[in-house]
Amino acid sequence: MLASRFLLGCWLALAVLSLATVGLAQGAVSSGAVLVLAVLKAWLITDGFMELRHGPWRWRALLLAWAGVLALVVGISLNLRG
Amino acid sequence: MWLFILAELSVFALLILAFAVTQALKPQLFAASRQLLDTSTGLAMTLSLLSAGLLAALAQQRVRQARPGQAALLLLLALLVACGYLGLKLGEYRHLLSLGLGLEYNTFFTLYWILTGFHFLHVLLGMLILAWLAEGCRRRRYGPGNCSGFESGVLYWHMVDLVWVVLFPLVYLLG
Repeated sequence: MLASRFLLGCWLALAVLSLATVGLAQGAVSSGAVLVLAVLKAWLITDGFMELRHGPWRWRALLLAWAGVLALVVGISLNLRG
Repeated sequence: MWLFILAELSVFALLILAFAVTQALKPQLFAASRQLLDTSTGLAMTLSLLSAGLLAALAQQRVRQARPGQAALLLLLALLVACGYLGLKLGEYRHLLSLGLGLEYNTFFTLYWILTGFHFLHVLLGMLILAWLAEGCRRRRYGPGNCSGFESGVLYWHMVDLVWVVLFPLVYLLG
């Protein structure tokens, strides 16, 4: 029951962050904020849905780094363009 | 399974980086082309994929609690919700093709079709896996002591979600 509530909480947070992502992107907020929300969503999926918060730290670090590094590179590429 | 997921994520990372770098080289083209995509459709697809992910994760809990019947039902619901993504994506593809915005229209759409098409194929495979797992639950093939195969299948779906949460802002929103 507790695990199900935790998963529901993750899903709710993911839904709110997705709505916020679109809201921020349509406003005058920097792309950095949108990318931070994307990394937060990736963290919720990795630690919540994939249960890597209880898993081997190397795999957890790799998956979290995947989203973090990609967001960083995308952010840099957007700033280079500007 | 983790190695397989890492390999898949590496391929997606290369495609995402190609998209980001090309966007940096052709910002006006990407900004103008992005206007032709519907953000609300992208958001609806996001919610559909994440909801299917939740249902798959809940099904995994039920398998661990030795309730495969409920797990099968949750997986069927996940498939139904994922069909929402399929319908929206196919509708978007049809709309873009009707406007002549195919793979060869410009660089943005070449990368759009490759990136989202590759992800779309992964969603299809993920749905097949969820259907297989649902059938396995119906036949009581999975239980608390025998759920590693089930967990691997559900992990695959979460990987598809993980890729989408990075892909969605990049393709539909940023720039």
